[in-house]
Amino acid sequence: MIRRMVLGAAGLLLAGALAACGLVTSTNRSVFVVFDVSGTYVKAVPTATKYANMMIAELQPGDWVGASQISACSFSEKEMILQKQLPQTPSLASAAKRELFDEFANYAAQVKSAKFTDIRGAIAQAAFELKQRPEQARYIVLFTDMVEDMGKGCDTSAVKLDLTGIHVIAANVIKSNPGNPDEYFALLTKWEKTITDAGGTWNLVSSPDQLPKLVTEGR
Amino acid sequence: MSNVTAFLGGSLIGGLPNWVLVLLIAVCVFGGIFERWGVWLTEHGRIARSRCDEKIASHRADELQDRLMNLEARMGQQAATMPKELHPIVARLDKSTDQINKAATYLADINIEEAAERSFRAAMPSMESTRGLSKLEKNIAQTTGRTIREKLSEIRPALSILKQEAPRLKADAAKLHDIDAKFNQSVRQVNDQFKEFEAIMRSEDRATIASRASIVVPWLIALIIMTIALSGVFLNFFLIERPMSEIVGEGARIAGVGLPTFAALIVIFLEFVTGVILMDALGFTRLIPAFESMSDKGKKILAVIAFIFLGAFSVLEVTLSMVREEIIETQQETSRIASASLISPSLTTPRDTPDAAATPENGNPAQEVRKQGLAKATIAQIILAAIIPWLLAAAALPLETIIRSSVFMVSIASSYLLLTLGFICRSIGAPSQTIGRLFGGGSKNTDREDEKAAKAEERAARKQTKKNKKDDDEGQGSQREDDLMVFEELPQDDVQSNRRDKRQRELKSA
Repeated sequence: MIRRMVLGAAGLLLAGALAACGLVTSTNRSVFVVFDVSGTYVKAVPTATKYANMMIAELQPGDWVGASQISACSFSEKEMILQKQLPQTPSLASAAKRELFDEFANYAAQVKSAKFTDIRGAIAQAAFELKQRPEQARYIVLFTDMVEDMGKGCDTSAVKLDLTGIHVIAANVIKSNPGNPDEYFALLTKWEKTITDAGGTWNLVSSPDQLPKLVTEGR
Repeated sequence: MSNVTAFLGGSLIGGLPNWVLVLLIAVCVFGGIFERWGVWLTEHGRIARSRCDEKIASHRADELQDRLMNLEARMGQQAATMPKELHPIVARLDKSTDQINKAATYLADINIEEAAERSFRAAMPSMESTRGLSKLEKNIAQTTGRTIREKLSEIRPALSILKQEAPRLKADAAKLHDIDAKFNQSVRQVNDQFKEFEAIMRSEDRATIASRASIVVPWLIALIIMTIALSGVFLNFFLIERPMSEIVGEGARIAGVGLPTFAALIVIFLEFVTGVILMDALGFTRLIPAFESMSDKGKKILAVIAFIFLGAFSVLEVTLSMVREEIIETQQETSRIASASLISPSLTTPRDTPDAAATPENGNPAQEVRKQGLAKATIAQIILAAIIPWLLAAAALPLETIIRSSVFMVSIASSYLLLTLGFICRSIGAPSQTIGRLFGGGSKNTDREDEKAAKAEERAARKQTKKNKKDDDEGQGSQREDDLMVFEELPQDDVQSNRRDKRQRELKSA
């Protein structure tokens, strides 16, 4: 009888261990927000931070948030604004989210314009940061007009991007030339191709309520 | 493969599909096998049914035994309290009887005639001195009246005693009658239950005994109660799921289920298990076999422990329900700040937003109403959270009925399934075997095979009988868990003898 019980307990423990190894997964995600501070977009940065706030408010405890800016030479740690992992418990996570709101507010209040726009470098920097993270779901949220303007000293147009497993979301893409819609759509198509060719997925968000849904629910 | 399909799809004889023809030939060829399967299935179906009847009867006997034990315990309690109830009544009866006896003796001793005569004689001297008739009458009346009054004043205490004691006697008699009625009722109940118990133990007609025990009705009642309890479980689950994330954190999934959800389910299961232990320890259910052999002291200890655990779970749920409200409030506030920043000129902080700045002290009525509503909702959640663990514990009560009745129902259904399959197989096998004999002429071989099979069965039956006898001899000293197990062998023997007789009859007829 005792032998049977011991065997049964051992079997249960084994099953539990196997289950624990294979069946426990993480639902956390890492989100990297990129703000364009070029002359054509810098005025829209405060609005963009508000969009970002709405998205952060819907993130789950344990999610990771990073932010950087698109400037003349974006593939650099200097352009990083913040990196923060939300605590695992909901109450602490809420407090951390509010801190992030304040940080974004401060950033939007003192943001300075850049001469050039290195979007590719910023995406490469974001992808590099996200690849270091253990979370399975990875997002890059771009707040930009998608108009690239490379400086002579920092030309990243030939840099090969690796966006495998990364969802790229372009939000609040303002029209820099309202008189030429074709150019705008062509620009978007070009970037979509660039992202998908690099192994990533592409989404365009126009309204602020779509962004949190896309990041938290994947739709 | 395609040729076979084409052949089966075609038709050779008068529009009859080939597959039907093939099936008919197969049935004719393998009819004997169907026949044997039919016999085998029917026999096993009958055995399964008789075993099921046996189990139901044994369960009914167990139930009656429990009831008898309860009645016995109740009668024991009555017997223990009876002296306490009867002693004052008897004392009062003694006292009343004594008083009444004294009063009666006194009353019996009174001689009114003598008193009247004495009063008349007392009036005689005055009669002699008084000549007037009217005065004489008056004198006699006065003397008689005075004497009678004196006597009556002596009788009055005895009469008042009688007046007092008569209702008391009546009340005491009524009480005695009640006690007698209760006792008689208990005795009658015990007798009835015992008669039924005896009938179950002695009767060989297990099917009749089993049919008397209702299975479906208690099962349905238990199922309804269990469904209600399960809806309580769902309610409880939604109440504790979110605050669980404060304890275990979020972000992980176990087998596709979120960690807080998993933790909430575990807590609910633990509450249920604690409830099962409590109910078993208190003797309301018999789900855990270990409790059968446990001492009363051990059961009491476990009951107390389970009670404490349930109390702890209740406290845990109350705390979680309070935390839940706080979490929801904080999350809503965070979302509100984020949304407000879109329409607000300044960016984020709550103090900048007009709604957040409006505190109850400022007299914002909407905020005040909202806070009051939240407080009421929290109180409701707390009450619910405190009650639900105990309701979950009570859900263990119908569980035993559901499990036991389900087992019986499945047993009955499977036995009927076997019998039905047996009937179908025999229905197919018997005519096909006859057709096979007619056309194949293989009756001799079949008879031989049948004889062999019959002999083999007889040998098996003899072996079984010997084995049973041996088991009986060996098993006399050993303890049996269930007294009714002895009945289990009777139907099997009957079945075997019936089988032999039937086989022999079949052989003769063949």
